[in-house]
Formats: sequence, structure tokens, C-alpha cells
Amino acid sequence: MKKFLLNRDFILFVIICIGLISVGFANPLFITPSSISDVLTDTSILIILALSQMIVILIRAIDLSVASNLALSGMLISLLSTVHPELPVYYFIALSCIIGTILGVLNGVSIAILKVPFIVTTLGTMSIYRGLIYFVSDGKQVYSSEFSENFLALIHFKFLSLSFLFWIAVAVFIIIYILLNHTRFGRNLYSLGGNPDAAKYIGINENKYIILAYSISGLFAGLCGYLWVARYSVASTQIAIGFELTVISACVVGGISVMGGVGTVLGCLLGALLIGLIRNALPAVDISQFWQLAISGAIILLAIIINTKTEQRKEKTVMVQE
Amino acid sequence: MKLELKNISKNFHGVKALQNVDFQLKGNSIHALLGENGAGKSTLVKILCGVYQPDSGTINLNNKQQIISDPAVSLSLGISAIHQESVMFDELTVTENIFIGNHLTKSNGLIHWNLMYEKTKQLLDDLEANIEPNEKIKDLSIAQRHIVQISRSLIHDADIVIMDEPTAALSQKEINELYTIIRNLKNQDKSIIFISHKLDEVMEVCDDFTVLRDGQLIKSDKISNTNKDQLITHMAGREVGQIFPKNHIKIENEIFQVRNFYKKTQFKNISFNLRKKEILGFYGLVGSGRTEIMKSIFGITKPDEGEIFFKDKKISILKPSDAINQGIVYLSEERQQLGITGLMSVKDNINMAIIDKNSNFYIMDNLKEVKNAASMQEKLNIKVSYWSQLAQSLSGGNQQKTVISKWLSTKPEVLILDEPTKGIDVRSKSAVHQFMGELVGEGMSIIMISSELPEILGMCDRVVVMYRGLIKKVLDVKDASSEQIVKIASGEE
Repeated sequence: MKKFLLNRDFILFVIICIGLISVGFANPLFITPSSISDVLTDTSILIILALSQMIVILIRAIDLSVASNLALSGMLISLLSTVHPELPVYYFIALSCIIGTILGVLNGVSIAILKVPFIVTTLGTMSIYRGLIYFVSDGKQVYSSEFSENFLALIHFKFLSLSFLFWIAVAVFIIIYILLNHTRFGRNLYSLGGNPDAAKYIGINENKYIILAYSISGLFAGLCGYLWVARYSVASTQIAIGFELTVISACVVGGISVMGGVGTVLGCLLGALLIGLIRNALPAVDISQFWQLAISGAIILLAIIINTKTEQRKEKTVMVQE
Repeated sequence: MKLELKNISKNFHGVKALQNVDFQLKGNSIHALLGENGAGKSTLVKILCGVYQPDSGTINLNNKQQIISDPAVSLSLGISAIHQESVMFDELTVTENIFIGNHLTKSNGLIHWNLMYEKTKQLLDDLEANIEPNEKIKDLSIAQRHIVQISRSLIHDADIVIMDEPTAALSQKEINELYTIIRNLKNQDKSIIFISHKLDEVMEVCDDFTVLRDGQLIKSDKISNTNKDQLITHMAGREVGQIFPKNHIKIENEIFQVRNFYKKTQFKNISFNLRKKEILGFYGLVGSGRTEIMKSIFGITKPDEGEIFFKDKKISILKPSDAINQGIVYLSEERQQLGITGLMSVKDNINMAIIDKNSNFYIMDNLKEVKNAASMQEKLNIKVSYWSQLAQSLSGGNQQKTVISKWLSTKPEVLILDEPTKGIDVRSKSAVHQFMGELVGEGMSIIMISSELPEILGMCDRVVVMYRGLIKKVLDVKDASSEQIVKIASGEE
């Protein structure tokens, strides 16, 4: 029982509840069902990207290009929708996923085969993918009026008065939960991140896993490309700029160790929820925008301090005869 | 013949790691693979594990030629290795470590956690190991980790189990338990390749042996046809005279005293003294609190109670630099993690602890550094090609000498050595021992933690025997027998 109470995920859950209640005291409107549903919708993309980023962080890497990937995939399908408004929405979603996956594979190949360090690779592709948006769009925006009805068909769908985005996030959570906990692929990611040398000895092909991890990260970035553009009904060079840092923060707050091999899917979800809650709650309790950034940063630092404290090895005890 | 390697050669950038080596492993036997560090044992093991490919030569397994192109192939051929370095996954559970790379799945392709758990429990019960399948590896002792590794080979149904220094970090009791498991494996018709620097245990456990030196096959025969001295000669390539060059030095007055050290759950009632020019041994099972005491003396951890007297004056050590300033230094057992900075040069490693002395007004004096490094290099005979050579490229023995140089540069009066010769080869060992003799000759006093009785008996003047965080007895080595010490250390007396 004590073990359960000290469980990181549980502590995070308690913090979220306390946060929600205290914001509720300051501004009761914030904890009405419709408002909470809005926060969840708003956090869905963050959840999806944090869960896919987690896969990359598990193998001791980071994907900084997700936000640019999202923006580029989103822009490409938006442009397509202006030319071919008659295409069904599934077509756009699938295409966005495919584009995202290709961009992810490029990252993976650069890291695994060309041996360019992951930080350099994804920092580079972050700029390249962002730059390509200017190239394909001539720096212009795609406005809400230009999207076809087909394109926006699914985004207003609701089930149990919760949004389409939210249900997609739930689905992604379930998929990644099963992937990481109940498949050989997922468990091998944990071993590879936990001890790369040892993983080699048991026959895990590191390159294959790097490419696959980045492909998955790319796939979900592509999916979010559609979701983002459809939700805000705008595609531009500027969308989701800097969002990769929010995503990585969510992972870190969720207890995914940047040293690799450590972290739970549930923790990652809770991390994303906490970050989403902070982003939505601070404006609701009238905290100025300048403070919002500082407070978010402080919370992330706090999470890392908690991480290092709880990760410290227990001192081995020698039984003293009393 | 279960396994037959013929004419295996392997070069690394022109260095001949293995030259035309033959190796034959019989079924149902324990085969010792011997040699000094750098003799080619690890390369041979890595070829068997599929980590390296031989440049030439053939591998026959059960009279069928095989190419072991990667570790997965090696596993599927029934070859399993228990490595010296940790190849465990600290953050994963025992169950998962045992099944790693080979997870059991249900018919729908998802992992069958319950079945894996049951099988692990069964296996650990069979081995009579007191390990909970859901424990994380990071919470296990070294001996328990070995058992998990052995379980892993059993689950993979390995035919050939390679053990690289499996007893290096174990206590005598744990070693005996391991021997039982190894003999059981042999009785189950498996073959074991056993790598060890401890020749006593090789003589005791193994059936056959193969000695490598400088990448070449020196001798392969039955253990019953040889003896320890012959093995040493084969390995060293020359007669190693006296292994423990204990000089007879007149011991002077008491210089250092520890009184009533106590730390909750770690140790209690620890009082002992050290005399000038004395070598004081600390013997006990791994985990008996020896290292913990030394860390407290050196200021790495804080004792709850206790006093230290140095030259009849009470001193307080709150952090390692206090101890170093007093002239007390501690050489850690884990030289890889705590002693050597692998990515720094040998010279910088040697000078690391005396940066203040080597600088003028905060600017480093390179000449002083080189001079100090050169004198240390000469004194300890460190094999280094050039001063900027990275410490990680040195062999284990030379790394150990580099760490010793680092601390000797501070000109200490009390030197605490924690397992100074663990895992290094016979020749380097004897060099370290020789050197310890010289140091006490020069007026230094040494505390040495060791789990090797011959080393304690050969080098020390007195030995402190510990059991479960308590000092059980302090013996004069002259009147002590190894049986008596082992008895006390295992709590039987």
C-alpha cells in the first residue's frame, strides 16, 4: 500500500486533482463539465505527441522535429484540400499520416544509418521541415474558408459530449499502452534504452528500432498535422512553433527518463494532462502571460528534481545484528 | 566434440587479437579459458557470441560448421554468455530479464506475462534462489544477478554457457552456491566455458583448460595433468617468483585510530587502529560493511556516530577533500565508475587530485604535470604509449595503476585500498603487491579491503574480520589460519 502511494504516477494524479480543485476555487467556471471537456480537447494533440515522443525518449533519443513535421504534413494536406475539395476526409487523414511517417523515417535513417547524432539530426530536420512549408505554400496561409466541408467533417463529431480529438487521443493511448507493455517490440524498446550494450548481446537490432521509433513518432506527428489544421481551421508556416518543447516537457513531467528505458505510458499521459491543465488554468485564474511561461518552466524543473530524487538508488543495507 | 574452433584469427586495426587459435570444448564438461588481461579471451568469447566476426577460421558446433553472424544467431545455436560487465536491465524485473529477447507470447501475439512469471518462479525455486520474480534488477545483490543470468541461459535452453569471471565479486558462501549450480548444469549435459583469474577455483571446478597468451594458443589439456604453478607459467610466459613480495618492515607507532563508528543499518561498534608502516587487512563477505566503513572514514557518507584520531589528534572529516588534506585517501573498488575518467588522458587522470599544486595563480603548469605523471609512470610501470592517450584505452591493470598514481600524487600517509587487485591479471596483481610493499617501506600505512584470502595472508600484518556490519575479530596474520578467518567471516565462530 505504501509502495502504491509513493508510486510516481499516483503522486502525479494527486497533483492534477489538487490543481484542478484549487483552480476550481479561484474560478468555479473552470471545473464545469463543458469547460473540462474543452481542456481535454485542447490537450488531446499534446497527449498524442507526448505518447509518441515517449517511444523515442525510451531509446535515449529525442525527436525535436515533431512540431515542424506536424506543420508540414498539415500544410500539404490543406493545400491538397484547396485543389481537390471533393476528396473524403479519410483520404486526408491517411495522407497526413503517410507524409509524417516518411519524414520520421528520414530522421531514423539519418540517425541509424548515417550516424548523425539524434540531436543534430532532429534539430536540422526541425528547420528543414519548417522551411519546406514556406517553399510549398509560398509563405501564404490556408484560411478556414478555404477548407472543404469534407475536410472538416469529422472534427465536430462528438460522442458522450466529448470531442473527436479526445477520442483519438484515447485510442492512441490504448494502442501505445498495448504496444509498449504487451508486445515484444515495446519491451525491446525498454531494454534498448535501459542498456544498449546488453541489448546488442541479446540480438536486438538497434538500427531497426531507431528507425521504427522515429517512424512512429513521425506517423503520429502526421496524424496531429491533420488534427491541428482541422481543429483551428488554419494552416500556416507558424502553426505549432515551439510545440516540440511542450511535448518533451510533458514526457519529462510524466517521468519518462531522458536517460532511457524508464517511464510508464500512464505517467506520460498524466504528464501531458498536467501540462495541458497548467496551460489552460493559468489564463483562467488571470495570471499574466509572462508569468505563465515562467510558471510552466518552474513546474518542469520541479518535476525533474522529483525524478532525480525518486530515481536515486536505494542505499544497500547491511544487516547489523542488534 | 561439442564445439570446435579451428585456426581462428582476428585483427583490430593491425593488432593481432587472436592468431590461429584452436579451441575444443567437450560435451558435459567445464572448460577453463585462461590468460592475462589482453590475452584474447574476451575476443574469443565475443566471436562465440556473434559480436565479432573472425577474419579467418571455422567454427564447428556438434560437428556442423556454423557462421555466427550476430548475437541472435549465437543464442539460437544454444550459446549463452554470462558477462563480466553488467548485461542486465536494471530497470526491468527479474522475470523480464530472464525472458529478454525471447518473451513468451499468447496466440494473439501479445506478451504472456502470467506464464513468464510462473516459469520464472518455478525456475528460481528449482535453483533454490530467494529472489522474487517481480523485483527490479537494480534492487538485487551481485550474486543474485548472477543467478538471474544463469536462469536466463537455462530458459534459452543453452547448450554452452560461457561464464566470464562469475565469482569476481562474490563472497565465499555465494561462490560455493554458484559452484553447485555450475556442477548441476554440467550434470544436465551442458558444457561450460569458465573464465577466471582465480586459479584455485579453476583447479577445483574445471575439467579442462586452455591458456591463451598474446592472442595465441599456449596450452590446452586436462586440469588433472597440471598444477597451479604450471598454469601461472603458461599465462605469464615466465616464472613468476614470489607472488606476494612482502617486505619485512619494522612497524612503528599507532598513527590512525577509528573509535566507535556507527551508521544505522550499515555498521556498529567499529573501532580499530592502524600503525605506521603497517598493512591492515579487512576481510569479510561482500556486503559485510567493509566498503561502507571506508566510505564513511573518507567523508563520502556520514557516520551517525564515531571519532577519528590521526597522529593523536582528533580530526573531523566531513567531505573527501578534508580527508585528502589530512593525507588520507581512498581507492574505490569500482574503478571504472569512480576511479578512472575514461575520456581524459592518462596524464590528466594522474594529476587530477593535485590541480592546486600543479598551478601557479590558477594557471596550470604543464611541465609540473608532465613531471609528476612521468615519475608515477616510471614508479608503477604504467604501459602508456603517449601522454594524451585516453585512460579508457588502457588495460584493466594499467587503469588500476593510473588510479593509484592519481592518489599517490597527493602524497598520502594513510592509503585505503578497496579490492585493489579485483579482476586484474596475475602479473599486474603482483606489480600492485610489490608496490604496496615499497609504499609501506617509504613510511606509508595501508588499509586493504580484500576478498581474496591468499592476498590478505600474503600482504597484511593484521587482519580485521567482519561479519554483518560488526568487527568480529582482529587477528595477527602470523598466527591466523585461512580456515579460522573464513569461519569467523561467515559467522560460524
